[in-house]
Amino acid sequence: MEVDAIVIGAGVVGCSVARSLSRYNLNVAVLEAGSDVAEGASKANSAIVHAGFDAKPGSNKAKFNVLGNRMFEDVCRELKVPFRRNGSLVLAFGPEEEKALEDLKARAETNGVPVEIIGQDELRRREPNVSPEATAALWAPTGGICCPYELTFRSAENAAANGVAFFFDAKVTSIRPADASGAWRLECEDSRVFEAKAVVNCVGIRSDELNNQVSATKYSIQARRGEYLMLDRDEDGAFSATMFQVPSKMGKGILVSPTVDGTVIVGPTAEDIPDKDDKATTYEGLEKVKAGARRTYPNLPLGKVITEFSGLRAHETTVGDFILGEAPDAPGFFNAVGVESPGLTSAPAIGQWLAERVAAKLGASRKNPSIVSADVSWWPKTREMAPADLAELVSRDSSFGRVICRCEGVTEGEIRAAIRCRVGARTLDGIKRRTRSGMGRCQGGFCTPRVIEILGNELGLPPEAFLLSRKSAPKALRQSRASCVSCGSGVLDVLVIGAGPAGLAAACAAKEAGAKNVLVIERDDAPGGILQQCIHNGFGLHRFSEELTGPEYAQRFIDRAAELGVSVVCGTMVLSIEAGMPAHVTAMSPRGGLAVYAAKAVVLAMGCRERPRGALMTPGTRPAGVYTAGTVQRLVNMDGIMPGRRVVILGSGDIGLIMARRLTFSGAKVLACVEIMKKSSGLMRNVVQCLNDYDIPLLLSHTVTDVEGREHVTGVKVSKVGEDLKPISGTEMHFDCDTLVLSCGLIPENELTRKAGIEIDPKTRGPRIDPKTMATSVPGIFAGGNVVRVYDLVDWVSRDSEIAGRSAAEYAMGNA
Amino acid sequence: MKMICINCPKGCEMDVEKVGDDVRVTGHSCPRGEAYAKAEVTNPTRMVTGLVRVAGMRKPLPVKTRTAVPKGSIDAVLFALHQATVQLPVKIGDVIIPDAAGTGVDVVATANM
Repeated sequence: MEVDAIVIGAGVVGCSVARSLSRYNLNVAVLEAGSDVAEGASKANSAIVHAGFDAKPGSNKAKFNVLGNRMFEDVCRELKVPFRRNGSLVLAFGPEEEKALEDLKARAETNGVPVEIIGQDELRRREPNVSPEATAALWAPTGGICCPYELTFRSAENAAANGVAFFFDAKVTSIRPADASGAWRLECEDSRVFEAKAVVNCVGIRSDELNNQVSATKYSIQARRGEYLMLDRDEDGAFSATMFQVPSKMGKGILVSPTVDGTVIVGPTAEDIPDKDDKATTYEGLEKVKAGARRTYPNLPLGKVITEFSGLRAHETTVGDFILGEAPDAPGFFNAVGVESPGLTSAPAIGQWLAERVAAKLGASRKNPSIVSADVSWWPKTREMAPADLAELVSRDSSFGRVICRCEGVTEGEIRAAIRCRVGARTLDGIKRRTRSGMGRCQGGFCTPRVIEILGNELGLPPEAFLLSRKSAPKALRQSRASCVSCGSGVLDVLVIGAGPAGLAAACAAKEAGAKNVLVIERDDAPGGILQQCIHNGFGLHRFSEELTGPEYAQRFIDRAAELGVSVVCGTMVLSIEAGMPAHVTAMSPRGGLAVYAAKAVVLAMGCRERPRGALMTPGTRPAGVYTAGTVQRLVNMDGIMPGRRVVILGSGDIGLIMARRLTFSGAKVLACVEIMKKSSGLMRNVVQCLNDYDIPLLLSHTVTDVEGREHVTGVKVSKVGEDLKPISGTEMHFDCDTLVLSCGLIPENELTRKAGIEIDPKTRGPRIDPKTMATSVPGIFAGGNVVRVYDLVDWVSRDSEIAGRSAAEYAMGNA
Repeated sequence: MKMICINCPKGCEMDVEKVGDDVRVTGHSCPRGEAYAKAEVTNPTRMVTGLVRVAGMRKPLPVKTRTAVPKGSIDAVLFALHQATVQLPVKIGDVIIPDAAGTGVDVVATANM
């Protein structure tokens, strides 16, 4: 897969970079070695938004800490992530540490961070639980607390809503220049290959290894482990500010802090360890946490501990600072190396800064703000809702009334939403971080069996598949998430609407003509369009010199599209097209929500629809049992449902004739085919092989003049018509039937076309097109197949749509 | 006698006359038309497309006779389809019913399922 920019690593930094990059006209992909976002340091840290008083003045840590801190209100409001400026206190125990507070205060002022020193009385007044040994404190009102994984996954959701593709279980094993073009070629462990003009290294603990593959400037990351304890919610209120101690060279020391979730976090230790994957907690470590915390909080209630965990900070040893920006000797390779504390605080600012650098490198323009989606796949958190609102929600969707996690009050509806969102959960841990299910005092004891059942149900796997690992997705799901969202990325060359014969032919032709990124959006669950229900033969005589059935003909194009690397997303409905360079196409799907795709050229291939009963103005009652021929075809051939046993067909369109034979084959009695005109509107070959072969009468110059039956059709009246097509009285005949099938013509489907301001030809009822290029009246928008005019033969649909696809590719490349 | 060719959408109207053992065809515009007309008076045949039940699923599998079968065997082929149940997976071209209804023609799958 080729894209403009690849972000490696889906932690809080990577997702922030991706979100910022999604504001530019760029094709962006995120590659993550794990099965989910926030799998590294982003899931196990202190969750503090640092004020920025202790970073070394002039360092990247100081700069981005302060910038990031200022951005937090806006970012968290946009992403609907909880954030609270509860302020930070740094405690001094005795005169020597009070001197250190003065140094910190001076440093804060250099960094531009407001602070003040408060005395013991003021400290005890504000924080009654603080140790009487603490003699003074530095107060930093801009310090805050947030939820780091929520910040990460909502950043990812918003990035995906703006076209960024996420690939999980994609561990990059090698990176090297692709060729003379200056692109980077990335190979993954599972042999997936990606190419990009720019790469952003956000790999956290392994960011040194990635950098050292491409640059002569070597870095070295030391894994520094921090162990934590978490206290139950009923400890909420023990402290209102985040309680630090005077920092040492190993870090900010043991803190005690409220969290946005109402629990209390205590930790971390700081221990350099050799193994970059060792996230075990240790007896010694936890003892250190307890001892350190007791200095601040002498009455630390150990009975309230609900869990302990550890995280690894990516400490860079050669520079000791965040290393940000393009590597000097590797053009297009950007680093975010050594992002340890205050990395969470800095992430939004790092994301913005790096995205600006990448966009400048690639010469990418900013997207028009009107097409940037603000969507973050928000879902209601029932535990925070007022009872009346909750009642209303449950009455609309009962799954929000079924509590799955009792400790944290998480419902089935929330868990399903966490799976169904764009970058949805595929693991128990993924559910936990997105919903808090399993994060409470029983730590998943009650909810695990219920959560795996929902995961299995949503993702089509046995529940036990999710018990093999808490954090790795079951094998069957690896890569699958990519296929849900990947195709929505960046600026496409050609976007085709509809994956029927027209759309697939156009997409293949566009690709063959040199278009790189070609995406087909299909509203049905599978490609192939209406051919999938046309199980009769007679297709492809011209195209393939063979007589194929509909599904066989469709499969040839589906296979061809796959060979050529055309992306097809199914179950997705296009809602609008906004012409321009690039054009913007808004589409909706149950999993992806609302997404906007940018494309240099668009091909319309929505096909046509049948004229319904209303358009025919057939008199009579409105009972069940009246169908269009295409609906009956779908019911019988795809859904295995026979709509009736005694059938009259009104109209002699080809689908009606074909269905006369199909219904006969399926055991129904077709009493007559009634046609108002003097000759059949379908092909003579179909009259012969579908009606004559089975002795079904074709009543020409006749029409249905009454439909009978209250609940269901019980019969129809048929009359002869005169030259004026009006029924002649006295010619009525009656048929006892339970089904009336309408086959009275097709109309090109052009809601989208009209909405896009494309000129419609009143004769064909499709867009007015230039037959040489299949271009519509709007530059950059082309059309092919039955959306243009109703064709007799799919072979010609393919041929003309290929012209549309080629023209679209040429247009896209001419405007590259 | 008059006859309409079913080979392609053109639907040529042909005159077919049996003269002894010979069949004379006029009005056709390609050799396929002539062959069809001759077959219609001697041994008329048709492709049969249909549906076969899939074990454990409501959605049926679309199938066809690999080549045309005698018109008189259509009912017997349809009955054979009705009797059959297939197990998935199935690929296009897989034989679903060998030698359907003794016609010597196999019924094959026309979709991947």
